[in-house]
Amino acid sequence: MNPYSGKAFLDFFPLFFHRLFALLTGRLSYHKLASDEVQVYVLTLIALAAVLVGTLLVVKKMTMLANALSHTVLLGIVLAYLVLHAGAKGPLPISFPLLVLAALITGGLTTFLTQGIHQGMKLQEDASIGLVFSTLFALGIVLVTLYTRNAHIGLEVVMGNADALHLDDLKTALKVTLFTAFFVLILFKEWRLICFDPPLAKALGFRPQLFNYLLMLLASCVAISAFRAVGVILFLAFLVGLPLTARMFSYRLSTLLLWGGVLGFCTSLLAVATSRHFLTAFQMPLSTSGLCVCYIGLFFLLSLPCRPLLLKRFSP
Amino acid sequence: MLLEFFTDPILRAPTIGSMLMCLSSALIGCLVFLQRRSLVGEALSHAAYPGIVASVVLAALLFPMWEGGFAVTLLVGAACTSLLGLFVISWMEKKLKIYPDSALCFVLSLFFGVGVLLASRLQFTHTLWFRKVQIYLFGQAATMVDAHIFLYGILSLVVLVSLLLLYHFLKTLYFDPTFATCSGMPIKRIEGCVTLLLVLAIIVGMRSVGVVLMSAMLIAPAAAARQWTKSLATFLLLAALLGMTAAFFGTALSLWIPGWTHAPSLALPTGPMIVLTAAAISFLSLLFAPKQGMVTRLIRLGRFRLRRRQENILKSLYKGKCEPLSATETWMLERKGWMAKGSLTREGRREAEKLIRLHRLWEVYLVHMGQAKERVHHSAEEMEHLLTSDMEKELQKLLDHPRVDPHSQPIPKGEGP
Repeated sequence: MNPYSGKAFLDFFPLFFHRLFALLTGRLSYHKLASDEVQVYVLTLIALAAVLVGTLLVVKKMTMLANALSHTVLLGIVLAYLVLHAGAKGPLPISFPLLVLAALITGGLTTFLTQGIHQGMKLQEDASIGLVFSTLFALGIVLVTLYTRNAHIGLEVVMGNADALHLDDLKTALKVTLFTAFFVLILFKEWRLICFDPPLAKALGFRPQLFNYLLMLLASCVAISAFRAVGVILFLAFLVGLPLTARMFSYRLSTLLLWGGVLGFCTSLLAVATSRHFLTAFQMPLSTSGLCVCYIGLFFLLSLPCRPLLLKRFSP
Repeated sequence: MLLEFFTDPILRAPTIGSMLMCLSSALIGCLVFLQRRSLVGEALSHAAYPGIVASVVLAALLFPMWEGGFAVTLLVGAACTSLLGLFVISWMEKKLKIYPDSALCFVLSLFFGVGVLLASRLQFTHTLWFRKVQIYLFGQAATMVDAHIFLYGILSLVVLVSLLLLYHFLKTLYFDPTFATCSGMPIKRIEGCVTLLLVLAIIVGMRSVGVVLMSAMLIAPAAAARQWTKSLATFLLLAALLGMTAAFFGTALSLWIPGWTHAPSLALPTGPMIVLTAAAISFLSLLFAPKQGMVTRLIRLGRFRLRRRQENILKSLYKGKCEPLSATETWMLERKGWMAKGSLTREGRREAEKLIRLHRLWEVYLVHMGQAKERVHHSAEEMEHLLTSDMEKELQKLLDHPRVDPHSQPIPKGEGP
């Protein structure tokens, strides 16, 4: 029995924090997490991973590559699935080898094809990005349609299905977030250098190209873990929207990451609570990921009038 | 068999409809391609999605029985949110100083997310409406009827006519922006018109290609056509032609493939098939177009390297400081007519003298231009393979027919005066 069923918007939060406290003090086994809580935690973890990668992408002005990734991830997953589970039927299991293989295929194909067409075939950059990701996405759609014999792949591809999340997804999301956090935080100094002073980084002997590849790989990892859980659109919104909102009132890389994370948690919590509220009050199932995107937009709007105040307070 | 697509009463509407849609998107795609803003189309097409969802509901309430009214409401709704998206993007760029690509991505995900939220509201309670919305995600040409051809025909005509009216302005604006500014052209207004046309092309194309893949139909035909020509008129015509070809074969493939895979009930979405066809055309163009194609460029480079190698062997043979030649090298030189029976022919000697002359002339020229004479050899080593006889004459005249090079080596005399 889900303890959240029948709860309205405002009743959601006391119960959530009460149970979170119980979880942290060990009075609640994590096997007994309610599905709403799993949703909040998975969304928060993916938001954290996305903020870590997205902040770097936004600062390095590589957001269009993130958009490209959000499309090509479909082909990456389909190909990895065909390689590893060619004969299997039934729902798509996201195992860790599958995830890594899919990330490598996605990131590799996107980066190398885009660069190859831009530099080898001399097509201007915007067109080569657009051409590559839409072609790969179209290929992914056709493969999925032919393979599953189902022409009605629609919203699950772009929105995921947050209601079907369970504990395994939480574990995958946790692994991906730790993996991302490890590479971003352990190389924090290097990232800062490469983002803000590429010539100096080059002169000191770092290879910016190598870091770009690493960033793309991390981003595709996040994209794949987000793909099933929350869909690629929310991935993109987390990746670009949260850092841009945080960017409104902070100028330091570390505060950007911090605020992005805080906003990510608030977004996830509010979205799940709202989704629950609509279900309770109007018997209306709404897409949790869609609500997340709306909250991100709302936060961005709210950050505009508060900007001068927040800037003075947090970035003296 | 192909003609059937234009005569058959069921196939006619999807085929002609898709071709008209891709015609307008290919034309407008050329313009954004030249502005280097191909990805704006991506954001605007995604931004149209909430408009589609809202207007499906609106149309279903207002004109439950009238197919034409439904289609028009949908186009208007899509245009509204698309324009709103455009407005938000330019506001973020100008007022908030956000990097254009980031603003594009943000607006794209925000609008599309709102659209999906609205669609998820319909999913379980209003399945019929939800299916109508889904059509626009990846496109579905198969259910179009003759009324659609009429509607999309008019809109394509609007795009075509406005493009013809703007043609001269655009030509000046894209190829000489400075002149356009100086001659007092209303640049702001022209660019506004192009953006409006872009929105129009997007909402026209959505029915057959779908919002998610719309940007490909803006980019691919333009990218392909650009490889074959440098003139604006040919560029536009070629892109239109390629776009229509892609639309035709894409629609046809989406009907043929289910038959080939023995699953006749499977309806492949047309959007991905059209996009894949268009992408195949662009990749072939990028590879094989004369002058700019990658393969043609590599062949040219390979030929030059081969000639350079042959000429270097010839030169060292002439100077007499050469290792024994391998069989292939002898064969190469004999084929050129520079060598026969183990020694150089007259032709070969003349060619070698020409190379040495060009090398030493270039050295003289570089020293004349102020370079130190110890450093000119490497440049001359390259240039001797590149200089043409016209350039040689120019150099001779400029340097007043020198007899020795900077290293006091004699310059062989050429034939003629």
